[in-house]
Amino acid sequence: MPPILAGDEQWRRLDPRMLLVHPIQEAVRFLPALLVVFFSGRNSDRSGWWDWAILGMIVAFGMSRWFTTRYRIWGGQIELRRGLLNRRLLTTPADRVRTVDVTAPVWHRLLGLAKVEIGTAGGGVLAERIVLDALAAPVAARLRGELLHRVASHPERDVELGSVGGPVSESWTESVGESTPEQLLVQLDPSWVRYAPLTTSGLVSAAAIWGFGAQYLNEFGDLQDRVEGAVDRVAALGLGVAVVVGLLAALALVSLLAVSGYLLSYWGFRLTRHSGGTLHTRRGLLTTRATSLEEKRIRGVEIGQPLGLRLAAAGRLSAVTTGLGVEGSQKGSAWLTPPAPADVVNRTAMAVVYDPDAVSGPLVAHGPAARRRRYTRALLPTAVLCAATVWLSRVVDLPPVLVIVGCVPVLLAPFLAADRYAALGHTLTARHLVVQAGSLSRRRDLLARDGVIGVTIRESFFQRRAGVVTLTATTAAGRQRYAVIDLPVERGNAVATVVLGDIVGQFADSPGWADPSADRASR
Amino acid sequence: MIEPGPTTDTPPVRLREPTNLVCPRARWMWLLEGIIQALLLGGVQVGWWLLDRHGPRDPHVVVAVVTGIVMLAYIVGMPLWRFRVHRWEVTPTAVYTQTGWVSQERRIAPLSRVQTVDLTRGPVAQLLRLATVRVTTASAAGHLVVHGLDRDVATALVERLTVAAAAERGDAT
Repeated sequence: MPPILAGDEQWRRLDPRMLLVHPIQEAVRFLPALLVVFFSGRNSDRSGWWDWAILGMIVAFGMSRWFTTRYRIWGGQIELRRGLLNRRLLTTPADRVRTVDVTAPVWHRLLGLAKVEIGTAGGGVLAERIVLDALAAPVAARLRGELLHRVASHPERDVELGSVGGPVSESWTESVGESTPEQLLVQLDPSWVRYAPLTTSGLVSAAAIWGFGAQYLNEFGDLQDRVEGAVDRVAALGLGVAVVVGLLAALALVSLLAVSGYLLSYWGFRLTRHSGGTLHTRRGLLTTRATSLEEKRIRGVEIGQPLGLRLAAAGRLSAVTTGLGVEGSQKGSAWLTPPAPADVVNRTAMAVVYDPDAVSGPLVAHGPAARRRRYTRALLPTAVLCAATVWLSRVVDLPPVLVIVGCVPVLLAPFLAADRYAALGHTLTARHLVVQAGSLSRRRDLLARDGVIGVTIRESFFQRRAGVVTLTATTAAGRQRYAVIDLPVERGNAVATVVLGDIVGQFADSPGWADPSADRASR
Repeated sequence: MIEPGPTTDTPPVRLREPTNLVCPRARWMWLLEGIIQALLLGGVQVGWWLLDRHGPRDPHVVVAVVTGIVMLAYIVGMPLWRFRVHRWEVTPTAVYTQTGWVSQERRIAPLSRVQTVDLTRGPVAQLLRLATVRVTTASAAGHLVVHGLDRDVATALVERLTVAAAAERGDAT
């Protein structure tokens, strides 16, 4: 088979099977509006033709996407042209491709299609990704293989310390889709689903369903009555029982949502390393998603340990990579493990960054000023809240429950502060800047030192009085900034100097500064 | 957790300030901007006075006095304080800026990572022949800004940085 990337001058349309998918997707998107139209139509004497006309418009609109989108892969460029009124042309050189996502939502899977999303370098997170929606699944897989392999076989000038890509053995004309030798790093163990209720994902989806459902509950008054009936029956048993039953029901619902969410997104999760120097993840129950990350572009990892997972000795891992943000829709692409046992997370982090000290080594604490600031920052607002509720209860008639609710935070604040200080730390290894912070959402960030492209040393008024600074390492990958908070001033400067070498060292006051990594200055 | 001190490997470092002050006219720019902000707040106050015709006048007086004092201190203090803080320096390998007043910030970026260099002039800055230079890197969080440069100094700086950025190959990530 000729490689797709060789391509030709011809502009091509996407897979014609999308003519079926687009109208369905549009219909789903306009579902609330459609329902309103149909139900209101039943009660009026309007002709049924209207309903069909609107449906037809939606179908035509969906199909028009296929007719107005063309792509071509030619001369080392990937070009995408789309839009009817608002036309746009997206272009990217194939050797700037950094990440390739292949996603197959349910409809796509039924028809054997897959969506290809291409992330490029240089544009940062703001750049629009090229999305080919959709190609035949085998074509998509081959295109992904070729794109990443082409990148791997054209090593760039800036050879980095963090690069772990092995030598490239095949030429890029070979098919590399599924046949490349691969090393399995992580495979989902179904028992890990026990961690799902410990994350906040269940709460988030419950809130989303609540918000969405509340609108429909209003329209279906019958159901609402029934729910209210149930609530009344429980309430008749007494307030205490009602609260307990309510909490248990909510807990069960949230856990159920979290578990199903976990299964939907992580089912069959696999992380593999391919010889071309790429990491591949594959996951999903209904919507499958395959992501390829070029290892040369990985600038580190984030080990997430939110409180719930931490108590269960679990965590999750995501990659810090250029061409891919860690927020919003791109967040999922960077995951290297699902919520999983801590040793799996650490082992995987090790496999990706090869730096044991960075993954689990001890950290340098930030000192008494940082500890004091954790306490003031936790105690001050909660104390104000408590005082305000107490004062309010004197002035107006406030139920005593509210006063208790208002004052519980101030009692918890010392524990939060202590835990936040216990988490706070940083260290420098030979290749990484390691930053750890947070209590409820604790994170240990490992950022490759050569991925740091600038430093910011910031001091607020109160920080200046306490003699501490926040050192932010800026990078083109992941969150774009990784902050080390409340470092003693001179330690902050020292860390900056070690990370950026003479770039910072030349501004040092002490003339005796010896640059330990003088080779960086020449880069 | 290791306590900071002799166990940590690197000696403490003190950074000196960047060498160059911004143009002295920048004080006038900040002063004018401060006055404009104060006038806007005053406008809001007048609007409130006119709309609230029948209410008591005491809250108006209290708010006006408080904002008046705060804004006066701001207009007088902020430009001088800012002028003392704002500094910049460009070496053959790096750009170094210091900005802020209440909160202060030092930014250092290797010249080799510079991606774009912008020169902007707001209406007040144009009046005073001043300009702002903004340097971006491949990180969305990594830009450096020098406010209140003399227009000619700024133009020369932009030229110098642009040449340096163009000399660098690769995508600077």
